[in-house]
Amino acid sequence: LHGKPGISFEEIARAAYDEGRVRLATELLNYEPRAGKQVPLLLNMKEDNIALDKAIESGDTDLIFHVLLHLRKKLPLASFFRVINTRPVATALVESSALDQNRELLKDLYYQDDRRLDGSNLLLSEALAQPSLSASLDKLKLASKYIADSRDAPSVFQRQALDDAAKLLRLQEQFEKDLGPRDGGITSPSSSFIGLSAHETIFQLLRLGHNKRALKVQSEFKIPDKTYAWLRLRALVNARHW
Amino acid sequence: MGPPTPFNASDVAEKARRDLLLLLEGIRGKKNLVLEKALAGSLNLLVKFSTLQEYGVDKPFFLENDNVDSSQRNVVFLVRGEKAKTVLAVSNQIKRIRRESQIEHEFSIFWVPRRTLVSDQLLEEAGVLGEASVSEWPMFFVPLADDVLSLELEDAVTDLYLRKDPTSIYLSAKALMLQQQKHGLFPRILGKGDNGKRLADLLIRMRTEVTAGESPSATGPSFLGLTPSSTIDSLIIIDRDVDFPTVLLTQLTYEGLIDEVFNIAANQTEVDSSVVGGTAPQSGQTGSASTSMKRKIMIDPKDYLYSTLGDSNFAIVGNLLNKAARRLQSSTERNQLAAKTTAELREFVAKLPGYQAEQASLKLHTSLAEEIIKYTHTDIFTRSLEVQQNIMSGLDPTTQHENITELINRDVPLPIILRLLCLESTTNAGMRHKDLETFKRAVIQAYGPQHILTLSSLEKMSLLQPRGGSGLGATPAAKPGSVTNYTPLRKSLRLWDDEVNEAEPNDISYTFSGYAPLSVRLIQSIIQKQTLANIIKPPSDPRAAAQANPLAQGLRIFDDASKYVRGATFDETQTGEEKAIKARSMLNGSHNDAAKTIVVFFLGGMTRAEIAALRFIGSKLKEVGGEVRGSRIVICSTNMIRGSGLVGSAIERERFGG
Repeated sequence: LHGKPGISFEEIARAAYDEGRVRLATELLNYEPRAGKQVPLLLNMKEDNIALDKAIESGDTDLIFHVLLHLRKKLPLASFFRVINTRPVATALVESSALDQNRELLKDLYYQDDRRLDGSNLLLSEALAQPSLSASLDKLKLASKYIADSRDAPSVFQRQALDDAAKLLRLQEQFEKDLGPRDGGITSPSSSFIGLSAHETIFQLLRLGHNKRALKVQSEFKIPDKTYAWLRLRALVNARHW
Repeated sequence: MGPPTPFNASDVAEKARRDLLLLLEGIRGKKNLVLEKALAGSLNLLVKFSTLQEYGVDKPFFLENDNVDSSQRNVVFLVRGEKAKTVLAVSNQIKRIRRESQIEHEFSIFWVPRRTLVSDQLLEEAGVLGEASVSEWPMFFVPLADDVLSLELEDAVTDLYLRKDPTSIYLSAKALMLQQQKHGLFPRILGKGDNGKRLADLLIRMRTEVTAGESPSATGPSFLGLTPSSTIDSLIIIDRDVDFPTVLLTQLTYEGLIDEVFNIAANQTEVDSSVVGGTAPQSGQTGSASTSMKRKIMIDPKDYLYSTLGDSNFAIVGNLLNKAARRLQSSTERNQLAAKTTAELREFVAKLPGYQAEQASLKLHTSLAEEIIKYTHTDIFTRSLEVQQNIMSGLDPTTQHENITELINRDVPLPIILRLLCLESTTNAGMRHKDLETFKRAVIQAYGPQHILTLSSLEKMSLLQPRGGSGLGATPAAKPGSVTNYTPLRKSLRLWDDEVNEAEPNDISYTFSGYAPLSVRLIQSIIQKQTLANIIKPPSDPRAAAQANPLAQGLRIFDDASKYVRGATFDETQTGEEKAIKARSMLNGSHNDAAKTIVVFFLGGMTRAEIAALRFIGSKLKEVGGEVRGSRIVICSTNMIRGSGLVGSAIERERFGG
């Protein structure tokens, strides 16, 4: 019977299931090559994991999503994660859709899988979305804390980068307070500092003639002398240009 | 050649057009069209807006703008159905219109290319499924040129390599499957790359699904259709992550550079009107109102002048333009002088529109070329090109670090820097740990802390990585097939060519002025073995060619090379049922191998320079009537790509205090 076209194993399996013979139905379904027909029946029969595997095999992301949505509604979060985290494709799809719609879910997922760098990146991207500086700083702190225990090289680098980012933001806030209003009359449109990179901050300070502060930023972030020289050159050219 | 040529651009376009118009006809009366932005380009290539108007479309809106008005009763959504985000956007707009409008609307949704279970589920949850009539517009391939078909999946790169979402693989398989159902199975499916393998597996799987679907109740004539095709030789699948450097390099063909400088989307590009402003003193053009307006320009592969320019190395474009100008001038002048009799005059006048069109095209391309020359003469361009060429020719990449650092210090746009860094990483199987950290820090300090995210995305896409293992020359032994190793390939496939001839190219390396794209070399090792063998081992012995070209469809060069290339290698043969094959071969009689079509599919995007290189191969194959395999090359892909787009998909756009 196997391999002959025109025979729908789905129908046979459905009949078997209606008779109450679940095992037989599942086995029969293995012969059904059309995933689109296997999966819904498997879900009906509450063979969730098999349904998910079949959907993944089919490569049809729509089917996979369908099963995932179904599982997500049915299972408690923890067991849902357990089901997907042995299946990379499923995890990837959950991640990618959660990135657009449900960041809390993503946080839980990273936490449970102990994916600290990803979790910290997520917090960083939240920090970027905050409307106020203090909220951004809070999120940055969380992002840094999230990986505080990890000792591997990427985490150490990441933590340092995050801490630097926070430091820079605080400095910029200070500059804005000190220089913003006072010089406001002359260069008000361009004297904003928050959000600039370290280089841009130095460039801006030099352009406005605050050499001391610029030097402070340089030493604070260990910016190479050569780089500083370039920044200075560009800033001076720019200033004369104005 | 068999009467229906497979992968025929005009057939594909015609079918998509008809399908859409039928759908529109199904909705009576006038209607407002809500369009996903990403679909606009493809739509524009397939249907003219005036045609849409004839079919009752009143006003077009973009889905993303969320501003559909209630001027018409019928509202038609034309959107891709694969992403939950777009589905939600549709349902939100339906709700908004229902809330704000006075009249009762009829909603229709055309999912492209298919209706999905998830979209139904989401619409149902939003409570709008019941009031929308839902249909599918099965548009897959969009023809960009006669030999270029693209699925135009903008997100394919992000999806595949960053988010690991295989949707685009599935859609590619569907698209190829449709062609198979029409023209027969690909007799062979070859390729390289893990995602490519997945695509091949899906194609084989779908075949059994189709067979299973042929139940007695739903009989189609497709039984014959599922035998190996007599007009297609093979399908060659190249996964993009097999060869990232080709994308990262600056393309040096004319079309490639237009794409680099102005960015081509769906055969159109936007150019500042000050550049081309003089070209079109069109009657009644009100574009002059704002001088810095962008003008849309059609990059038309059918344009005679452009068809000779597009694939040429940019270095000789000046000459070509010059020649064209002279030819045009002489032909008009001579004719004018000779036009004495009325008959001659009439003939000349009849030709005039042709000349005028050519003249306009010449003007346009002269000014485009001028603009590109300005760009290529900037210090930054030459410096970054220098770094690229040094890395590709196999110089120790650490010698280039100073150059890159200086470029960072000079605040060169981030994509350029990232391309160079990724180029070093991808050609050398990763970067030294210490160097990588230095550069990461430099990028963060120069361009902002938000790029911590950018860098981590690049790492996920395996574009920018620390060197695997403990480094120091031990890389080949690390993990076979986990990264592409350019060091042995540079020699065994002759990826670098110092004596490149740009004016009269004798090898595909002309497209990058020295570097022969690995992706195309791999394809060459399958379809143009003789020539490639001669290039690798210059024919001191004229019989060397014959020896490198075994009787069977041997893949010696390919097999040797693919050891060093990342990802799975696959070579599947598809056969049909004996009886059907016999029937078919009787129907068609003996067929000519040389005229067969070779389908090349780039999964995850292709560059214009690669297209140029493949066309170059195609034209050579035609000259000799094919080497072993067919000679007509059709190039397909999920999307068009360029370096800034590849790294751009990783770049974080948010910023602090933004």
